[in-house]
Amino acid sequence: MGWTIEELAGAIRQGKISPVEAAEACLARVQRLDGRLRAFITPDPEGALRAAKELEAEATAGRWRGPLHGVPLAFKDLCHVRGLPTSCGTGTKEYFVAAHDCTAVSRLVAAGALTLGKLNMTELAMGPFGDNAHHGHVQNPWRAGHVSGGSSSGSGAAVGAGLALGALGSDTGGSIRLPAACCGIVGLKPTYGRVSRAGVMPLSWSNDHIGPMTRTVRDTALLLRVVAGRDPHDATSSPRAVPDYLAGIDGGVAGLRAAVPENFFFQGLDPEMASGVREALRILEGLGARIEEIRIPDPQTMNDVCNIISRCESAAVHARLYRERPEEIQPVVRARLELGFRIPAHDYLQALRLRARLTRAFLGDVFAEADVLVAPVIPEAAPPLSHATEGPVEELALRQGRFARLTRPFNGLGLPALSVPCGFSRVGLPLAFQIVGRPFAEATVLRVGHAYEQAAGWHRRRPPLD
Amino acid sequence: MTESRSQQVDLAGLAAAIERAAADLALAEEPSRFIAALEEAAEEERR
Repeated sequence: MGWTIEELAGAIRQGKISPVEAAEACLARVQRLDGRLRAFITPDPEGALRAAKELEAEATAGRWRGPLHGVPLAFKDLCHVRGLPTSCGTGTKEYFVAAHDCTAVSRLVAAGALTLGKLNMTELAMGPFGDNAHHGHVQNPWRAGHVSGGSSSGSGAAVGAGLALGALGSDTGGSIRLPAACCGIVGLKPTYGRVSRAGVMPLSWSNDHIGPMTRTVRDTALLLRVVAGRDPHDATSSPRAVPDYLAGIDGGVAGLRAAVPENFFFQGLDPEMASGVREALRILEGLGARIEEIRIPDPQTMNDVCNIISRCESAAVHARLYRERPEEIQPVVRARLELGFRIPAHDYLQALRLRARLTRAFLGDVFAEADVLVAPVIPEAAPPLSHATEGPVEELALRQGRFARLTRPFNGLGLPALSVPCGFSRVGLPLAFQIVGRPFAEATVLRVGHAYEQAAGWHRRRPPLD
Repeated sequence: MTESRSQQVDLAGLAAAIERAAADLALAEEPSRFIAALEEAAEEERR
């Protein structure tokens, strides 16, 4: 299915295609391609068609639920969806069975979306590559044998391959932006508190974010407006009003101040990736943005802080699974969990206190003179799957840390960060960069991403699957 | 649960990094100031 969400929703409104036809087209594509992509853990064709028929009957009667009426979406398998099991990527397919949809899914469904099923992910959302020994390693839609990125691996591959028009992912250290970057799609980690996490299996309460993954920036803006906002079931959700993110998205970047970090982010970067990001900056400059290189507070300190917080909180969340069925957990995931049991409470609390100070310092140093920060999102294009699966556990853990080092700081900082495709490597794998904004400035980040996307045109390319 | 050599190294590294960075934390610094920082910065943006 080559439509964007906006295009499909418009076509359904105009009677050019029905919700049932849209669902059938996606399900046929899942049937045809997912045996090799492994994007889904639990496809739900019966539920999708049942919902599509209801939506079709409502449309025929002139009743429209909202801006997503009839749009087929799919959800990372840590989002609770009523009637479907939640594995969280573990070998226990029914690790959780929920009576209710998570808040984000319930808002999408209320806006008219239908659910194609639950998507593959790294076990317990702990890992940046998308490998999963229980449910199959998710394949990169642009090149078989390469990782999809993780942990929202199925979300990246399903949207990249056109199996679903959009997806939800979760991002604790980069898990929306990494698969978006690897799979050539758009992924947004919103500001901490912008989107409710209620009903989503946690990994680290302090660092978890839920966000949309789509083919275009406009589609991400559309989904964000639906899922964002205060939720009484999530005490960390912000009461701040949700703007119409599409309203100013065509405003361009003339006069916008874009800072580029001269330290950390370009160090050790693959030359093709560096070149792709630099070219994206040239395009933004050509559109009228003012690009300035600046030295930013060392992101490695925030990476260490995030690591301590995430390890401790994930150990607490999954203590029961770890103690009762440790043999079910893949060795590298188990090793990362184990670390959390051994960190003293003192270090955890100091990390939480440091996070507050580092965030204020970063906001003051970087955003006093800049509207956005532009940086690479992955250090190199999607590596071969063997990079994620072969070698000693210690080496695998090191590779994981290196691959997520450019995304994790913004989880600690809680800032909105949008991953946008910016070209392809010589072997046809996507390149990407991220646009980071002030707290709750998603509208600015999306405006910059949209301006670049329209000028560069990478979103029109499709992976060679057909 | 046995602690491997690499885990010991990881833990020691993380603990040292936190100790260094937290050496001059103000007494008043507390975790909830993270949320306050986000909200205050967003207010400044709106003004």
